[in-house]
Amino acid sequence: MFDQQREAVLRVEDLSIIYRTKRGDVKATSRVSFDLRPGEALALIGESGSGKTTISLALIRKLPKNAVVTSGNITYRRDDSVQDLLKLSNRQLRAFRWKDCAMVFQGAQNAFNPVLKIRRQFEDTAQSHGWTDKTAIRERALNLLELVRLDPERVYDSYPHELSGGMKQRTLLALGVLLNPQIVILDEPTTALDILTQRAIIDVLNDMQRQLHFSIIFISHDLSLAAEMADTVATVYAGEIVEIGPVNDIFYRSLHPYTYGLLTSVPTLEHMQDHLQSIPGSPPNLIDPPAGCKFHPRCAFATDACHKDSPPLALDIGTHPAACWHKDRLLESRKEPV
Amino acid sequence: MTSRNADAQLDSSDVSGVAGALSTLLVKYPLHKNYYLRVFAQAILTIWAVLTVTFFLVRQMPGNPIDVLIEQILTQEGISYQEAYDRVASSFNFDPDASLFDQYLDYIGDLLRLDMGTSITSPGTRIIDEIARFLPWTLFAVGSGFLISFVLGIILGMSMAYYRDSALDHAMSLISSFFTGVPNYIWGLLIIIGPGISWNWFDVGAARGTYDPGLTPGLNAAFIGSAIEHALLPIITYVLATLGSWMLSMKSSTTGVLNDDYVNVAEARGLKDRRIITAYVGRNAMLPLFAQLSISIGFVLGSGVVIEEIFVYWGFGHYLFQAITVRDYTSVQGAVLILSSTFVFSNLFADLTYGLLDPRVRITGEK
Repeated sequence: MFDQQREAVLRVEDLSIIYRTKRGDVKATSRVSFDLRPGEALALIGESGSGKTTISLALIRKLPKNAVVTSGNITYRRDDSVQDLLKLSNRQLRAFRWKDCAMVFQGAQNAFNPVLKIRRQFEDTAQSHGWTDKTAIRERALNLLELVRLDPERVYDSYPHELSGGMKQRTLLALGVLLNPQIVILDEPTTALDILTQRAIIDVLNDMQRQLHFSIIFISHDLSLAAEMADTVATVYAGEIVEIGPVNDIFYRSLHPYTYGLLTSVPTLEHMQDHLQSIPGSPPNLIDPPAGCKFHPRCAFATDACHKDSPPLALDIGTHPAACWHKDRLLESRKEPV
Repeated sequence: MTSRNADAQLDSSDVSGVAGALSTLLVKYPLHKNYYLRVFAQAILTIWAVLTVTFFLVRQMPGNPIDVLIEQILTQEGISYQEAYDRVASSFNFDPDASLFDQYLDYIGDLLRLDMGTSITSPGTRIIDEIARFLPWTLFAVGSGFLISFVLGIILGMSMAYYRDSALDHAMSLISSFFTGVPNYIWGLLIIIGPGISWNWFDVGAARGTYDPGLTPGLNAAFIGSAIEHALLPIITYVLATLGSWMLSMKSSTTGVLNDDYVNVAEARGLKDRRIITAYVGRNAMLPLFAQLSISIGFVLGSGVVIEEIFVYWGFGHYLFQAITVRDYTSVQGAVLILSSTFVFSNLFADLTYGLLDPRVRITGEK
């Protein structure tokens, strides 16, 4: 478990991002705020297109060219120095990337340059951040490859196409922590892998975090992965964080109808298919999102208030903050036996 | 199969004994399965086919140099036809009366002994010496034109991809399409007519040849400077004619690579821009261009025939053109042998070295 008391390594405040497109501005992220503490694993969960990836790309300043940050700031702390990530110069940004915050992208299949050996790509990464001693790089890399349970010597001297999908994913994880970053962002780390490989990746991640003490932000629509890995879960809907809290609170005492909907749409061992529900409707158009609570068109609890006013992400009822006018009614309904 | 047949006939025939031994050898040392030997054999076969076609085709051209020469000797020296005929036949190491097929066998036999024969129209001149005299000039002009064009094309094409949809990109796309559209001989003529004659930037007459008369070939500044000066116009022509297609190819392949995940990840890894541009974007974007490279080397060498005539540059193309004009069969054959070998072997070389650039197609053992 992470230390609640220690100061956040990353603080995101009021972050809004739009994409300028021909059809209008896509409000991909609206007023997102969260803290990430040392050693904490934060899961951003939500449907495809909800803005999870936009948030993570903003953290390493790799948003597409048509993206504009319209409000907010991101502060990053390493030891006693504090940086505003949105104000980094190109040189500072290059230094920040991977050394402070590494991102393991979705689809590691093509994450490696096909014409360079894995060894060369580890060296490139380390040398770009000031390492010069190839023996030291090799030693560190082999340790990490061992940690992700690969045959270090063999993988280190392979070309990417000589590795399987799961091996590449694990190699990318090892590369991700090569420079001992404080934050590792994992975008769908297990998607496109078979169930056994997924299992292996999760175990490896847990191991690595225990040994290397970095913070994790991971993006997933896989709730079981979130349940297993996360300390904190944030539900993202239509570019907003609608609920955030400790993993157990989110899973057992969720306060937002959307989170609840996500949870009940997943089959569990106890409740088999007959109770499985899906959330009616589809995510809103973010060029012209609905007024009030963006979830109201799909929400069973929606009232007039929901059409008019957007609920704040407030800690009033229950154990953790959620953005809903009708938390009480959701809690009420859940008391009834299903 | 062969082996069993061979065994059955072993007693009755020596030939089958050889075949049997051969097939036993091939079973023991499967040379025919060796990739390198196989592609090399294919290359030799291709060249042989080209030579055979050339051999018979040049002899179908109207006009016959031997008759011309016999006639010359007859009128000049007033000897009998038979005497003139004998002299021509002996001086050429060549029997004009021999059947086409016998001539062909002789020719191939000589080639196998690495002898390209002598010229028909200037008796006694060995073709290999002629080629050694003319070819270096062409290799110099075509080679530098090619290198400049390829390097420039790579750099410009990459910048177009990096700044795609900018004014720079649009302007360069237009220019490169135009460059590609105009054939190289038109470029040659345009250079002579425009800067050469109309604007008088250089003396067209003095640009003839491969170096200024009176200079001694060697490693001295005057000669090298003069050689570069004389090669400049063909080089510019080769560059203008091929630059556009390199730019466009490089732009499209770079655009593709820039969208690849690994480039994105390389940026997220905080790699230095120069490293990303060279080792991540450039190297991958250049892969498809290497396949084109070998094909266009042969193509440019062939197109030198016309370009060198236009600039009166005494290189290999000029030599081939002259040989065709006077129906010097053996010289044409020699030139075509060089042309087709260059083409075939540069392709072969590209095939074999492609694996060095792209590990995914590296040949691992037998194929």
